[in-house]
Amino acid sequence: MTKEERIICVGCPLACEVRLTIDDKGEVIEIADNKCKEGKKYAIEEYKNPVRILTATVLTRESKHALLPVRTNKPILKWMLRQGMYEIAKVEAKPPVRAGQSLITNLLDTGADLVASADLVD
Amino acid sequence: MKQREIDVAVIGAGPAGLAAAIKAKEEGAESVVILERAEELGGLLSQCVHNGWGLLYFNEDLTGPQYAARFIEKANDLKVGYQLESMVIGMSADRELVAVSIKEGHLRFKPKAVVLAMGCRERTAFNIGIPGTRPAGLFTAGTCQRFVNIEGFLPGERIVILGSGDIGMIMARRLTLEGAKVEAIVEILPYIGGLVRNQVQCVRDFNIPLLLEHTVSNIHGEKRIEAVTISKVDSNREPIPGTEKRIECDTLLTSVGLIPENELSLMAGVELDPITGGPIVDESRQTNIPGIFAGGNCVHVNDLVDNVSWEAELAGASAARFASGRKPLKKGKIAVKPGRNIRYIVPQTITGENEVTLYMRVSSPEERVRIKVGDIMTKAFLVVQPSEMIKLDLSLTQLSQLKEGTRELTVECEKRGGK
Repeated sequence: MTKEERIICVGCPLACEVRLTIDDKGEVIEIADNKCKEGKKYAIEEYKNPVRILTATVLTRESKHALLPVRTNKPILKWMLRQGMYEIAKVEAKPPVRAGQSLITNLLDTGADLVASADLVD
Repeated sequence: MKQREIDVAVIGAGPAGLAAAIKAKEEGAESVVILERAEELGGLLSQCVHNGWGLLYFNEDLTGPQYAARFIEKANDLKVGYQLESMVIGMSADRELVAVSIKEGHLRFKPKAVVLAMGCRERTAFNIGIPGTRPAGLFTAGTCQRFVNIEGFLPGERIVILGSGDIGMIMARRLTLEGAKVEAIVEILPYIGGLVRNQVQCVRDFNIPLLLEHTVSNIHGEKRIEAVTISKVDSNREPIPGTEKRIECDTLLTSVGLIPENELSLMAGVELDPITGGPIVDESRQTNIPGIFAGGNCVHVNDLVDNVSWEAELAGASAARFASGRKPLKKGKIAVKPGRNIRYIVPQTITGENEVTLYMRVSSPEERVRIKVGDIMTKAFLVVQPSEMIKLDLSLTQLSQLKEGTRELTVECEKRGGK
């Protein structure tokens, strides 16, 4: 049994919808509808490892700023994004916080830390 | 009333203003002052908490605040001056600036050179004339971004977004992750208005319906938006009767384009390009008024901040040189003209004596084309699209092929043959 995956390449505005045929072991056995070799490379990578940087804000206390912007310091799997938000919602930042400072280490076992993406100093 | 001696005054502390001020200082201007109406440096970057900034300039994937911090740090190291909560409200052709400051009242400056770096603002629902009532719940995507990322408010729970510009798509993801439901993104054109990267990572990743060739044809609700009607549009972008569909929602965001801010430029007599909405500039980013330079989104709306920084640096360097009283910069006398399927080109004029990067947009999407710059350069593209800026570097060797006395250089997008 094979299945089909469709992945839009973000390499250029052509936005090819690349069609991957996947065998029952999850291996890519055929690639079609890409107009260049970059599209092939992108589609395989995006199929095997669809990762994104998660960016958000956390609430602050004892600060004149309502929020502190945060990000993961490494990309995480895209289906972890929503779950990550529930963890982020539990965090509160109190000044002083420096950009790059970790607020959650190893977020949901992804290997990525949630770090401040700006200073919080009043 | 206060008056100060300044070499280079930069209007606006966003990415363009910061880059211009830093460059002016590096090029030897002694006193460089940024005038900024907000409470902080960084402009819109502080509310752009998402990543994707600096991929070209720093070769790193930064968030907006991180990108801003890199420049703010450098500006501080170089002792660039700034005046916050000070809004420039007047500018004359002889570079007299009038500003109002919350702390210091009425201010006047007579800098030796000025860099315009006011950026751009969003088109609103009023600009595009959506029918229906005007209840609460109608915001531009950028205003919503400020509420969600700076103030800490979620403006609604069920959202429809009109327009598929980058800010709209980015807010679709942000609102979804904050627990709101984005019911649809509605785009009047047959293609998206923003970058493909955002279509995939902000819209498709979250299964948000994206309806091309559709528009919002009515807004319902008295005090608060209760629903919108969307319709399919015909080739003239008019709603097709009978295709109406009602979507229950409490919020409508608009992401329908950006307009360069140039009220000050006009006061000083700076000539604007009717297509870009920004000053007509040459390769050194000189405007038609001596000593007034311009860079960034007030010249033309960019899709990547990296280009804003680079272009503004040109303006900053030129302003420093003008302020120093050294030999004046030559004026660009060769007009760079948009030809077939080219909407605009910045800079609009060049001298032909310096290497130059041409920034341009096409009018409509086209596949398998080549872009020709006069007969001195051609470059092939698999596809071109209005939402993605095209950059072409012209080298001195290529420019040396221009015939003596050339006054016009036409850039055209040509269809290539083949399959």
